[in-house]
Amino acid sequence: MDARILLVEDDPSIREVTVIGLSAAGFAVTAAPDGVEGLERFRSDPFDLVLLDVMLPRLDGYEVCRQIRRTSTVPVVMLTARADTMDVVVGLEAGADDYVRKPFEVPELIARVRAALRRAGRLPDETDNLQLGPLGIDVAGRAVSRDGVDIPLTRTEFDLLLELVRHHGQVLTRDVLLDRVWGYDYLGDSRLVDVAIQRLRAKIETDPAAPELVLTVRGAGYKAAR
Amino acid sequence: MPSVIRGVRARLTVTIVALVVLTAAVLGIGSYLFVDTSLHQQARDEAAAQARFDLSVIAPSRLVSTPPTAAEIQGLQDAFHFRNLDTIVDDGSGPVITSLSGTPLPGEMVRLVDQGQIAYAWMSVNGQPSLVVGGRSGGTGPAVYFIRDEAALEATLDQLRLALGVGALVLAILAIVAARFLARGVLAPVEAAGRAAERIERGDLSARVPVTSDDEFGTWADRFNRMAAALDDTIGRLESAQDQNRRFVADVSHELRTPVSALVAEASILRDHLGDLPQASRRAGELIVDDIARLRTLVEELMELSRFDAETEEVELRPVDVSRLIRDVVAARHPDAVLELPDDRVVIESDPRRLERILTNLLGNARDHAPGALVVVRLRAAAGQVSITVADRGPGVPADRLARIFDRFFMADPSRRGGSGLGLAIAREHAELLGGHLHGRNRDGGGLAIELVLPVTGSLRHGDPAETGEDEPEGR
Repeated sequence: MDARILLVEDDPSIREVTVIGLSAAGFAVTAAPDGVEGLERFRSDPFDLVLLDVMLPRLDGYEVCRQIRRTSTVPVVMLTARADTMDVVVGLEAGADDYVRKPFEVPELIARVRAALRRAGRLPDETDNLQLGPLGIDVAGRAVSRDGVDIPLTRTEFDLLLELVRHHGQVLTRDVLLDRVWGYDYLGDSRLVDVAIQRLRAKIETDPAAPELVLTVRGAGYKAAR
Repeated sequence: MPSVIRGVRARLTVTIVALVVLTAAVLGIGSYLFVDTSLHQQARDEAAAQARFDLSVIAPSRLVSTPPTAAEIQGLQDAFHFRNLDTIVDDGSGPVITSLSGTPLPGEMVRLVDQGQIAYAWMSVNGQPSLVVGGRSGGTGPAVYFIRDEAALEATLDQLRLALGVGALVLAILAIVAARFLARGVLAPVEAAGRAAERIERGDLSARVPVTSDDEFGTWADRFNRMAAALDDTIGRLESAQDQNRRFVADVSHELRTPVSALVAEASILRDHLGDLPQASRRAGELIVDDIARLRTLVEELMELSRFDAETEEVELRPVDVSRLIRDVVAARHPDAVLELPDDRVVIESDPRRLERILTNLLGNARDHAPGALVVVRLRAAAGQVSITVADRGPGVPADRLARIFDRFFMADPSRRGGSGLGLAIAREHAELLGGHLHGRNRDGGGLAIELVLPVTGSLRHGDPAETGEDEPEGR
C-alpha cells in the first residue's frame, strides 16, 4: 500500500513516532509542524488522507480543515486532545470525516486511517437514483438535491444518508451506523453519529427541530422515513 | 418550635392590647359609675327639695279632710299633673299601689313615709324609669307620692354607655394596630438577621444585617456582621486555595498530556518490537510499556476529575437499556464475571457513556482489588430506582475505612500495585451527576460489594421493544 498521508502535528516526538509507525505500515508520510506549512504541503503535493492535530501553531487544525475543504474531498481525520462533543461538532463542521482521540496507540491510528481510506476509495455499488421524500439522491454522482436545488453534503453526511435511505423504514443503531459509515467497530463513542445526524438534518430537513426525513427512534437509533 | 418570631410577636401584641383594653375598661367603667352616681344623686336631691316644698305648702292646702276625699285627691293630682308629676295619695284604703301600673311601692319606703320621713325609690313605672318620692302632707297628713319621669336621665346614661363602648372598641382596634406595628418594629432586626442567616445558609456569604440603632439590637447586629465577614473571609481563602489546587492539578495533567501522548504512541511501537531486544533490555522495555499505560491512565483520570471540579460536565440523557449495557461492558471488561439480570428488560433515562464509565471502574476495582476472585454483577429494578451491584470475593475493606473507598487516591491496601486510586472517586462523580449514589459494604462470607443506586424518573421500566429498540435489526 502506498497511500500518501499528510501529517500535521506540532509536537516533535509525536510527529516522529507517528511517521515511524505509519511508514512501517506502508504509508508514504509527509509531516508538517504547523498549520501554515501543512496547508502549503497540501497545496503542492497530492495526498490520499490528511491527519490534522487540532491545536496547531499559526493556524489551528479546524481552520486548516476548512481551507482544505474548499478545494478537496480528501478524507480528513482530526487528532484531538479532548473528545468532548464540542470538539467533535467543530471538527465535523469544519469538514472532518473522523477524529482520533489522543493519546492513541499507533496500531489504533493505522486501523482508523485504513478505514477512512477504504471508505474514500469505495466505488458506488449502485448507479440508480434514490428518493427520500422530496430528496433526490444521485448515488453515482454522490449528489443530493431537494426540489431541483443541490444540497452540498460532506462525504460522511452523504454516506450516512445513503445508509439510512437504503434501509428506509428500518431502525439502524448507532453502533451499526458507526460500523457501516465510519468503518470501524463500536469504540464507545456514539456521539459521532448523533452529531453527524444533526448536521445532516440541518441541511436536508425543512425544520431540523421536527425532522420528517431522518427520524430518531428513542433508545434505539435512527431510521429514514418510508 | 419553628415560629419563635411569630410567637414573640403574637405575645407582644396580646400583652399590649390587653394592657390598653384593661386601662380603658377601668377608666371607662370608673367614669361611668361616677357620672351615673352623681346624676342620680342630683336628681334625687332636686326631687327631695321639690317634694319638701310641695308636701309642706301645696298638699296641706288641698288635702283638708281626714281622710281626704276623692275630690280633694283628684284636685291635688290635677294640680300636679300640670307639672308633669303623677301623684298618689294614700287615702287609708289599703296598700299603696301606683295608680297606673299596679306595681307596689317598696314596703321599706312606705314604712319610712308612715314614720313621717321623706323617702324615695328608683323604679319602673309603666315601663318608664322613674323616681318616686314620698312624704306625709304637712308632716302628719296623708301620705303623698310624686312619680317623676326620669327617662331623660336614663337616656343620657345610655348615650354615655354607648359612647364609652364605642370608644373602647376603637381604642382596642387602635391598640391592636399599634401593637402589631410596634412588635414588628421591635422584631425587625431579628427578622433581618433571620433573612441574612438564611442567605448565608444558601451560600451567599455577602449577606449582612442592617445596623439601624444604637441599642442592644444594634450591637448584636454589628457582632453578627463581624462573624459573617470572618466566615466570608475564611471560606473565601479556603475556596481560593482549593481553586488554586484544582487549577494546578488541571494544569499539571494538561501539561503532562502531550508527553504522555508521545509516550503512548512510542510504547505501542516498542511493544511490537520487544522480541528484537536483547534479554537484558527486553524486561526494561516491558516495564516501560506497562508503566506508560499506568501513567496514561493516571493522567487521563486526573483530567477527568479536573473536568468534574471545573463543573463543566454535561449529562446527555436518553433511554438506556441497562441490561444490555451491563452485558456489553462486562463482556468487554470482565468476561468471567457472573451476571444476575432480571428477566424483564430494564430501561431508564440516563447517560449511557457515564453508566459505562461507572461500571467499567467498578469492574476494574474488583479486578485490581480481588484478582482472580469471583465477581458477580447484579441488576435490580424496584419502584423508583434501579441498582447495579458489583460484588467480589476479595479481602474486602476494614469497616472503619469503608466510607473512604470513594476518596481520591484512597488505597485499601497501599502495598498492592494496581489501579490509580482514582477509579472509584471518578465513578462517584459520574453517579452523582446522574442523580444517583454509590456505596460499599463488606459481604457476608468475605468480599466487597459496591452498589450503584440510580433514580428512575420516567416510566420507561417496561418500555416496549419498538420504543427501546430490540436487538439490532440485522446482523453486523
